[in-house]
Amino acid sequence: MITSLRQMADTVRSSGIKKKIAVAWAQDPNTVGSLHRAVSEGFAEAIMIGRREQILAACQETGADPQRFTLVESPDEKSAAELAVSVTRNGEADIVMKGLVGTDKFLRAVMDREKGLLPPKAVMSYVCAVEIPAYHKLLFITDTAVIPFPDLDQKVAMARYALEMAHSFGIEKPRIALIGASEKVSDHFPNTIDYSVMCKMAERGQIPDCIMDGPVDLFLACDPDSVRIKGVDTPLAGDADILLFPSLESCNPFYKGLMLFGGGELAGMICGTSKPVVLMSRSESELSKYYCVALACLMASHKS
Amino acid sequence: MALKHLSELKQLLVDKPARRLVLAAAQDHNSLASVLMAAKDGFIEPVLVGDKEAIHNIAAENSFDLTGVRVVHEPDSEMAIEIAVRMVRSNQADILMKGKVGTSNLLKGVLNKEWGLRSGSLLSHFAIFEVAAYHKLIAVTDVAMNIAPNLQDKIAIVNNSVACLNKLGVDMPKVAVLGAVEMVSENMQATLDAALLSKMNQRDQIRNCLIDGPLAFDNAISLESARHKGIRSDVAGDTDLLLMPDIEVGNVLYKSLVFFAHAGVAAVILGATAPIVLTSRSDSDQAKYDSIVLAAAISRKD
Repeated sequence: MITSLRQMADTVRSSGIKKKIAVAWAQDPNTVGSLHRAVSEGFAEAIMIGRREQILAACQETGADPQRFTLVESPDEKSAAELAVSVTRNGEADIVMKGLVGTDKFLRAVMDREKGLLPPKAVMSYVCAVEIPAYHKLLFITDTAVIPFPDLDQKVAMARYALEMAHSFGIEKPRIALIGASEKVSDHFPNTIDYSVMCKMAERGQIPDCIMDGPVDLFLACDPDSVRIKGVDTPLAGDADILLFPSLESCNPFYKGLMLFGGGELAGMICGTSKPVVLMSRSESELSKYYCVALACLMASHKS
Repeated sequence: MALKHLSELKQLLVDKPARRLVLAAAQDHNSLASVLMAAKDGFIEPVLVGDKEAIHNIAAENSFDLTGVRVVHEPDSEMAIEIAVRMVRSNQADILMKGKVGTSNLLKGVLNKEWGLRSGSLLSHFAIFEVAAYHKLIAVTDVAMNIAPNLQDKIAIVNNSVACLNKLGVDMPKVAVLGAVEMVSENMQATLDAALLSKMNQRDQIRNCLIDGPLAFDNAISLESARHKGIRSDVAGDTDLLLMPDIEVGNVLYKSLVFFAHAGVAAVILGATAPIVLTSRSDSDQAKYDSIVLAAAISRKD
């Protein structure tokens, strides 16, 4: 079982996995640095799509050897994104990654009905593996970035993606907590209604291979003492692996709080697409980007 | 304690004082016969409110013995309802029963804001069946009163029924919330409500019972079927109470149990301040008698 991001990256490095990554608008020093490390460690190959000169400049800035990359010239952000998605779609690459291109342009290419990577009717969501000193293992959280107010179907999809990731980390029966403000079911909190339905789906094997409970608050999900004091009978037992949040606006500040105040580190990716999609904020550190690349390689190897 | 036969309901009344039953518009051959039989057996003490002359005529024609039975003369059936309801309200009677009046008229009286029997809960129909093929009595709700209960209604219906079963000595009744399948599907509201009721039960928001659902009918009553489907449930195969998704399903199940499975049945209306016996002409004499005994058993205040 993988319990840290370093261990995750080590596992990928030592497993013989080698995945090809197409990077859209690649002339960003953090992206170049992280990919150079992944390529040097042998688990990734990178197709860097963008302004050749600027990519070379970024290589020089970060001390990366441009010989390790395949460089492809592209005139602008939009064509770079489309090309990166297209080579991933046709199998020349296994993973597509966002470089300096804007998120909306990048996602438009990913979601394009004819040329994109999203199967019809598929739910696209975002799962993060977060490492924080205050918790004894990794926490998988969803959705920090894509679905503002998930409905029942979308929540079920989010749960499946997070479970798939946790399973890939060697957690056989992940404990998944459906997060609310309390453990009670109430009409006033529509998410608690969805959560009740999901728990029954898990009980009936419609969402298999997990231990699910919700609504629960964060304390019941992650703190055994709270479970004991509150006397709530929950199979999560304060030992959750996955936290499913009711909205983007609750999940996003949670992870940012952990990064800013909790000494957290993360690896995340877009789920629901036919191939892994690496999308991170441009301000993300090189280490986070490296972890994201390793995670995408791990998930791509489980998919194939 | 699980009961197997409806005749065992009587055992709950042994050595207990007779409960006072008021029959509204008592000039009704159907209900009068079963009321007088239950009185003769010592379970109830009847008060007949209605047209005195008509009541005596029916008694004479059928050789019913009215010796010692209190009769309150009121030929107008709406007035008879009001008198009967007021008697229950003022604690002069413990059970209300419908005689020769329409169900809707009686219920209008029960729900009267000034002198009715409102308890704050929803009125619901509760039926308990003796089926040869099942190892204990099985209760079914709601087969006659609430047409398309929503989630809040279903919670009230479960609470009414669980309190009733508790009084019958079933301490932690196992409640199966019926669906067409045991899987949850957004296209079937009954399965969503079932999932919610289960979770509310787990969270102690619905107490004194064990709820699971959705369960298809076979999973609810047969452990073998549930196992066959791989359902893990503490309720499956040992259900005490079947919660119906709506009145159509409930009514058809009720009638198929009676007509095809030759089940015995007793039924009451719950949710008012006292149990209400509301039998129909098509019920057998035995069913009417057993319903009166059931009402007496749950009206115990001792």
